[in-house]
Amino acid sequence: MKKKAIPYFYSMPALLVILLIVVMPILYTLYISMTNMNIYHWFDFEFVGLQNYGKALFTIDSGFWISLLRTVLWTVANIIAQLVIAFFIAVLLNVKGLKWKGLYKTLLMFPWAMPGYVSILVWKMGIYNTEYGLLNQWLKKMNWDTVNWLSSDLIAFCSCTILNLWLALPFMIMVIDGGLQSIDKSYYESATIEGAGFFKKLQTITIPLLRPVIAPMVIMTVFTTFKQFDIIYLLTQQNGSKTGADIHTILTYAYEKASVTNNYGYSSAVSIIIFIILLLFSLISIKDLKEEGR
Amino acid sequence: MRRKNYRQIVRMSILHIFFISICFLALIPILYTFSVSISAKNDFLNADFTLIPSEVSLANYKAVLFDNPFISWLTNSLLLSVFTVLLSLVFSVPCAYAFSRYRFRGRKGILYTLLMLNAFPAILSMSAIYRILRLLGLLNSFSGLVLIYTGTMVIFGIWNLKGYFDTIPLEIEEAAKIDGASDFQLVCKVIMPLAKPSVIVTSVLVLIYVWSEYIYVVTFVNSTEKYTLAAGLYSLQATEYTRNWPLFSSASLLVAIPVLIIFFVIQRHMVSGLTAGSIK
Repeated sequence: MKKKAIPYFYSMPALLVILLIVVMPILYTLYISMTNMNIYHWFDFEFVGLQNYGKALFTIDSGFWISLLRTVLWTVANIIAQLVIAFFIAVLLNVKGLKWKGLYKTLLMFPWAMPGYVSILVWKMGIYNTEYGLLNQWLKKMNWDTVNWLSSDLIAFCSCTILNLWLALPFMIMVIDGGLQSIDKSYYESATIEGAGFFKKLQTITIPLLRPVIAPMVIMTVFTTFKQFDIIYLLTQQNGSKTGADIHTILTYAYEKASVTNNYGYSSAVSIIIFIILLLFSLISIKDLKEEGR
Repeated sequence: MRRKNYRQIVRMSILHIFFISICFLALIPILYTFSVSISAKNDFLNADFTLIPSEVSLANYKAVLFDNPFISWLTNSLLLSVFTVLLSLVFSVPCAYAFSRYRFRGRKGILYTLLMLNAFPAILSMSAIYRILRLLGLLNSFSGLVLIYTGTMVIFGIWNLKGYFDTIPLEIEEAAKIDGASDFQLVCKVIMPLAKPSVIVTSVLVLIYVWSEYIYVVTFVNSTEKYTLAAGLYSLQATEYTRNWPLFSSASLLVAIPVLIIFFVIQRHMVSGLTAGSIK
């Protein structure tokens, strides 16, 4: 075999699978997004140009913008909370002379080690359930009124955020903990000699040195948070057991348009818009994910 | 000096109290599930929350294991996971090796395109994938699911493995190359053992993905006998088990335990295997 062909030969099988399972569906979605395929036009759908995009972007009550706004809010709130809490915990884990650090780290990893959807269902049934969920049991015990944790918009949004934090914090703590340990201890020693206090050190050593190390993982988390589907879907939007809260993110919104109302053309247009938004975000952040040239 | 010691002790105690409460918060959903699953009475309804049930019994576990097609779900999950992991490795290892060791036209372009493709949420490909599977005659079959899972996870595999391969010095290979080793031998005998953390973590993450995936199974497979554990659990909570939290809790722990075990076995590789490529 010609030497030049070798790398193509090696990567061919993987690239073919990706072509079939990832690229083709995207192209197909792009194509369907320009048709009127829906429950009435299942086979005889026709080309309608950019009509679906127009409907999503320019019809006020389409629900598109509000879901997008909610998704951005969801992502920003979750990332900020994750970074702050995880940073705080990781710094405390690295306090000099703390015993049982390994044990605490192992215990804190449990939520990460559970399969995500099992945890979500367990939270739905065991924590947030109105009758036998733990939260309402406690409220009852204290003779307070019980709360429907998943049925009104604001409370449901907060419940989902808390669950997402529970699921995502362990990973963030480990990443920041790893980052903290990669910082050369001698910086702190010389800073101490120069009389820098705890916060001064945090500001001038820890944060600047930590940033490049954790940036790729944070960007990755931004993506997974933006694309988080299971939490909102399983907690509030499950087919047949909707809780009444309307906290669609852009993803559950697009999914519902396809699988519940069978409006495929429209749903595909929304999918492509989501794709474009995430693409733009990756282009902005790609300099942080740049591979090291060799 | 004494005063300082005293202050140190107080500081450490506060820290320990803090960590114990944080750990408790992290564990309480799991502990509570466990306690409900082994309680003999349905005393979870009378608002007396205790972590240790008054009467212990394994009846719930027995009911889950034998009154449901649990065993066949487990077999299906195992089959799908093993085949998907193997296929993902077979596809992504040579590809990652090519991207790490060879310089060829379109290399950068393809690498970044792969990253970009990841921006498309997999769940929105559902109806397109349905059509592709129908075209290939793979609806309602395990091969179809393995194909979808592999396709979904292979991009992650390529990037993760390539990142790790990049950190393995070329010199190690040169020596073997001089001895006349082929690329295949190089990968099997030199690269794979050195890249073990990354290979393990990649495999485990693929496995956990397959183990937790329910939407494709519920959509593409039409008999509950052919469900996986994830799909089975999903279908249970959506129907009869909604009223039966003790049964559901034991079912969900049974599903979670294998993943928990694997996760903690490979835990020490977890961060290095995931971040070697991206953290410099």
